[in-house]
Amino acid sequence: MSRILIVEDEAHLAQGLRFNLEAEGHSVQTTERGEDALARLVKNHESFDALVLDVMLPGKDGFTVARELREAKNFIPLLMLTARGRPEDVLKGFESGADDYLPKPFNLAILIARVEGLLRRKDWTHSVSAEPSQQDSDLPDHFRFGDKMVDFRNLQLRAGKEVIQLTVMETDLLRYLIKNAGHPVSRKAILQDVWNLHEETDTRAIDSFIVRLRKYIEPKPSKPRYLLTIRGLGYQFVPNPKQ
Amino acid sequence: MRITRRTKAMAFFIVLGVCLVALAVALNVSWIIFHWRQVVPLVLGIILFGLLITGMVINTIFLVREIRRNEQQDSFLNAITHELKTPIASIRLYLETLTSRPLDEAQRREFYQIMLEDTDRLLGSVEQVLRASQVRQGSSRQNWQEVDFAAMVREALELARLRQHLSEQALCFGTPPANGITVLGNEEELRSAVLNLFDNAIKYSGEKKNIVVDILAPNIDTVSLRVIDLGMGIEAKELKRIFKRFYRAPNSVDGQVKGTGLGLFIVRSIARRHGGDAYAESKGQGMGSTFTMRLPRIYRA
Repeated sequence: MSRILIVEDEAHLAQGLRFNLEAEGHSVQTTERGEDALARLVKNHESFDALVLDVMLPGKDGFTVARELREAKNFIPLLMLTARGRPEDVLKGFESGADDYLPKPFNLAILIARVEGLLRRKDWTHSVSAEPSQQDSDLPDHFRFGDKMVDFRNLQLRAGKEVIQLTVMETDLLRYLIKNAGHPVSRKAILQDVWNLHEETDTRAIDSFIVRLRKYIEPKPSKPRYLLTIRGLGYQFVPNPKQ
Repeated sequence: MRITRRTKAMAFFIVLGVCLVALAVALNVSWIIFHWRQVVPLVLGIILFGLLITGMVINTIFLVREIRRNEQQDSFLNAITHELKTPIASIRLYLETLTSRPLDEAQRREFYQIMLEDTDRLLGSVEQVLRASQVRQGSSRQNWQEVDFAAMVREALELARLRQHLSEQALCFGTPPANGITVLGNEEELRSAVLNLFDNAIKYSGEKKNIVVDILAPNIDTVSLRVIDLGMGIEAKELKRIFKRFYRAPNSVDGQVKGTGLGLFIVRSIARRHGGDAYAESKGQGMGSTFTMRLPRIYRA
C-alpha cells in the first residue's frame, strides 16, 4: 500500500481520483491548495510515495509548487495533471520538476498505470540504494585504487577533484569486478550475477560497458592497466598493477 | 513569464514610438529654422510633419493596445479550456469508474448526481460563450416584452443560491423588493445579466460570503439593481476595465479566481442594449465592492 497525496481544487475530480486510487489499494489524501501540499511535504516532512498535482490551483499554481518542492530537495514522484495539453505546457511541466504529465480529460486506466509506474520506479530506486548496505560485509561504501576512489553509495567515481557520476548499471558492474579483484570473471557470470540475466543474451553488450568504465578509470583507455581483458575468459580487475 | 514578455514587447514599442516622434519633432524644428522666411514651404512642412507625428503616436497606441488584447485573448483561451475540460474530465472519470468497478447503489447514485452537476457547469460555460458573442451582434428588439423585474430578480437569486449551495444569509435582499416594477426587454437576457452579477459577487467574495441585493427606484423612469459584497474589492484603476471583454483583474492577494472574463462584459452589454448601464464601485482591495445595473423602467400610475 502506498500513500498518495492529491492536490486538486475541483472537488469532483479530487473525489473521483481518490475513490479510484483507494480502490487500487492505496491510502489517499487530498488537498485543494498548493501551499498546503508544500507545508505538509516540506515543512512537516509528511511522507507520501507519490504526488498527483493539478496545475490550475488557487494561489500557487502547480508549476510553482513543483519547482519549490524540488528546490527544497523533495524528490517525491510527481504526476502533473492539467487541462493545458499544448507541447509548451507539457515541457514547462517537466522543466518545473514533474516526473510525468497527463492532460485532462484523461483515461482512468492510463492514469492509474502512470501512478503505478511512478510508485514502481520509487521501489526500484529504493532497492538499489538499499543494496550497498546489504553488501557491507563484502565491500565498504568506498573503494580506493590508484588515485581514484569509487563511492558506491552515491554512484560516484572521484579522481582528484573530478567527480564522475556513474549509472546504476556501471556501478553494479564495477562493484562486481572489484569484489572479484585478482580473478578473471566471464561475460556470462557478469550477466547472471550483476543483471540477473539467464537467457542467452548477446554477451557483447557488456563490452560497451567495459569500454565506458575504462574511459573513467584508466589513464590510457587503449592500454588498460586496471581493467584487463583475459582472452577466452572475460575480464579481470587489478587493484594494484605493477609499474 | 508571460507578464514580463508582454511588458518587454510593450516597452519596446513605446520606446520606438517615442524615438520616432522625437526624431520627427527635431526634423520639424530644423525645417522651421531653415525655412522661416519662406512662407509656403514653412506652412506645408509644419502641416506634413504634424500629420507624420500624429500618425506615429496613433500607431504606437494602437500597437500597444493590440498586444494587450492579444494577451487577454490568450488568457481567455486558457480559462475557457479549463472551464470546458474540467467538467468533461470529471464526467469521463466517473463514467469510467462506473463501467470498470463494482459499486453499490448509493455510490452509483452519488456519482450520477456529480455527473449531473458537471453537465450543468458545462452547459453554463457554453451558454456564457454563446451569450457573449450574441450580445455583440447588435440589438434586436423583436422579442421584447414587459418583464416584472422584482419577480425576475427574486427567481434569479433563489436559483443562484441553489446552484452554489448558499445559505440564506450569504445571498439575500437588503429590503424586500417592491412589486410593480416593470422593465421592457428580453427576459432571458435580463435574467442572464442578473445571474452574472450574482455569480461575480459570489466568486469574488472568498470564504465569508455576505452579499446584499437591493432593487432601487430612484425616480419614475429608472430602476437599479445593486449588489454589495464584502469580498476582495477592486482597485480604482480596474473599475472600468473589468467590464471589458476577456478582461480579468489580476488578483495579487488571493491568487486566481476561475472564470472566463465574460461575465461582466455580458452584464454591461445587456444593460446597454436595454438602454441602461452597469458600473462598479469599490473602496479598494479587500474592501468589498458594489455593482449596480441601471435600467429604464415603464412607469404606471
